[in-house]
Amino acid sequence: MTQIDQFESVFRAAAHDAFEYEAIAFPRVLFVTDGNADQSKAFVRQTLDYATNLKNAEIELVHGEEFQTTDELLEKVTAHHPDLICTYRNLHSKAWKFRHSLGEHLDVLLQRTDAPVLVMPHPEAGFANLDALRETKTVMVMTGQLVNNHALVNHAISFVAPEGELYLTHIEDKAAFERYIEAISKIPSIDTDDARKHISHQLLEDPLNYITSCQEILKEKGLSLKVHPLVSFGHHLTEYRQAVESHAVNLLVMNTKDDEQLAMHGLAYPLAVELRQLPLLML
Amino acid sequence: MEHAVTHASHGTTIFFTGVLILLIASLALEEKIHAKKSLIVGLFAAALLLLDGALGLLPFGPITLPNGHTLDMPVYIEAIDWGVIAIIIGSSIFVDVTSRSGLFTWIAIKLTKLSCGDPLKLLWYYGLMTVVFSAVLNNVTAMIIVGSLSAVSLKRLQREEQLLGFLLIEGLLTNIGGLLTLISSVPNIIIGTTAGISFVTFFLKASPYVVVATGATIWLGARLFNIKKLSDVDEIAAAKQHVAGFDENDGIESQGFFWFGAIMLAAFILVIATTSVLPVVSSLGMGYVALTFALIMLIRYKHEVEQFYKAVDWDLIGFFMALFVVIHMLEYAGVLDLIGQGITWIIGEDENRFGVGALLVSAAGFSSVTDNIPLAAMLGKILAAQGTAGDSSLWWSVIFGANLGGNLTPIGSASTLVAVTIIHKHKLKLSFGGFVAKALPFAAMHIVLATIYVLVFL
Repeated sequence: MTQIDQFESVFRAAAHDAFEYEAIAFPRVLFVTDGNADQSKAFVRQTLDYATNLKNAEIELVHGEEFQTTDELLEKVTAHHPDLICTYRNLHSKAWKFRHSLGEHLDVLLQRTDAPVLVMPHPEAGFANLDALRETKTVMVMTGQLVNNHALVNHAISFVAPEGELYLTHIEDKAAFERYIEAISKIPSIDTDDARKHISHQLLEDPLNYITSCQEILKEKGLSLKVHPLVSFGHHLTEYRQAVESHAVNLLVMNTKDDEQLAMHGLAYPLAVELRQLPLLML
Repeated sequence: MEHAVTHASHGTTIFFTGVLILLIASLALEEKIHAKKSLIVGLFAAALLLLDGALGLLPFGPITLPNGHTLDMPVYIEAIDWGVIAIIIGSSIFVDVTSRSGLFTWIAIKLTKLSCGDPLKLLWYYGLMTVVFSAVLNNVTAMIIVGSLSAVSLKRLQREEQLLGFLLIEGLLTNIGGLLTLISSVPNIIIGTTAGISFVTFFLKASPYVVVATGATIWLGARLFNIKKLSDVDEIAAAKQHVAGFDENDGIESQGFFWFGAIMLAAFILVIATTSVLPVVSSLGMGYVALTFALIMLIRYKHEVEQFYKAVDWDLIGFFMALFVVIHMLEYAGVLDLIGQGITWIIGEDENRFGVGALLVSAAGFSSVTDNIPLAAMLGKILAAQGTAGDSSLWWSVIFGANLGGNLTPIGSASTLVAVTIIHKHKLKLSFGGFVAKALPFAAMHIVLATIYVLVFL
């Protein structure tokens, strides 16, 4: 009954997953810093100058004198019930000098709160004058699973400055793909060349169709941003680093939560650790 | 072809009748004995040839051609109805190549989108599509196309709980659609060609029943399986959005080939329908038409025609060829005469209403537990041997009974078997008894309607 499967495949391929647009707003924004109230004002101001979509939000602040432990921080954040948290790496720590961690506060905050977190470069790291921190003109979504990731794309759209650009990237892990093809090459009933050709095509086709639907729907809604696809095979970190550099990205948007594990999403952590000069929106 | 007539003894006829019963039982238990039909019937054919030959029942020797020439041809070759084989091979290749144009999937997806995802509309559209595809293509292909689309679209609409009902109704409708034209099912081809019923006559006589039975089946199916129209505004919007994601053009490799496929399909139906009145073509027959259309379609894939040859159901073809040989051997052994006497006992010497109805019901009963093709082939041969007139209702009793009996059990027809395969593929539970229990109201309705129709209108 292989014909049944053939026709089911034809119909499944014809059923494209379409993007579902939803306008995202952040009425209550909570800033979390490790400085005192006065020192924190500069950080708040700089962030609001950068992310103009937050201009009309109700701004709240939890400064460094109000918490020391992660428990205390989580308690404060829960009490404020924000729609967005703005902070930076290595709170109450000097480890921001090293490209090895995000700091215990941010680690826990990302996993234990429902609100998305905008992670700005550390105020003392000297990135404040970089072009990347001027405006959110170029926003990039990074994921290994773009299709049906409506929330991620909608959050990214909410940050794109007027007439800005949105890059939707989907990088298929080349190493994992080669492992599967290697396994297929040992199965006599499956043609290896055929499998390579069709699987690679389909893996890239689905996100491309999704991005096309995103372009169509945003045009239909009258939004002025330009949406570009970046879909390819590669090594996640390498490809993403190159993409960020070559497109002068101002904001990187990614998922951090993983239903399968308590720690941060596999791809998000190394990217967040390495790309320290770039603001990150982490869901 | 010239045949020497050799009369078998009563004991020989009884013995060969026992062999026939054994063959029918083997076919009914095909799944249990894990052997393909072509092998089962092929082995019986080989054994019967040897037995008939050894008992002196076979007329060996050259056959005389229409031009007076004689030709040495083995008896197992002349026994086969090559016209039927040509129709089956030609039309299956034609349908296979045409389906590559994306035409059938385009129609299927267009109808899905037209339904806006409403389950009741979807059931009506898929039901009508099943009937039309069964009539134009063949029952098995129709079931595969509509059944696989039902599985994909209902999953997308998050209505998997309705899949069983959809598949069961579609499976039953394939056998209704299979009644629409002379080439819609193999029993139709066999009986139609034996009785000399033209394509147009067949269509005109069968279509009113098909229309009524289709409407009644979908209506009853919607009630029994609780498939209702959407009324909630949010549900309507969500369903519309889900089916809007289907792209009907996704399966189309080339617009040119798509339109070529559509035009060729229309031309195929037209030429098949008018074969009996077209000069020269009428002598060459429908098999010639089917093979020629298949060859024209194959031009598109001229470098890879072998993949279409491989896709032909050679088990089915082998089954037919062996079956014709078996029937031929049984004829020499006097079995067909014996069954003919039994049928005459049931239906009476002269054609009467009771006989016509009894033949329809008993043909349906037999066809529900075994393949309807040997049944049609055997009854066709018996009715022809009895000199039954081409316009007799008895032919229609066999056609309706052989087609509709398949709806009583999951093994009654190849297309209901496909429906059950899709049902099991999607992990839906349906036993043999479960199928019979769910299908019985439909099958009973079909047979009662058919009996009334044949008795009153044909």
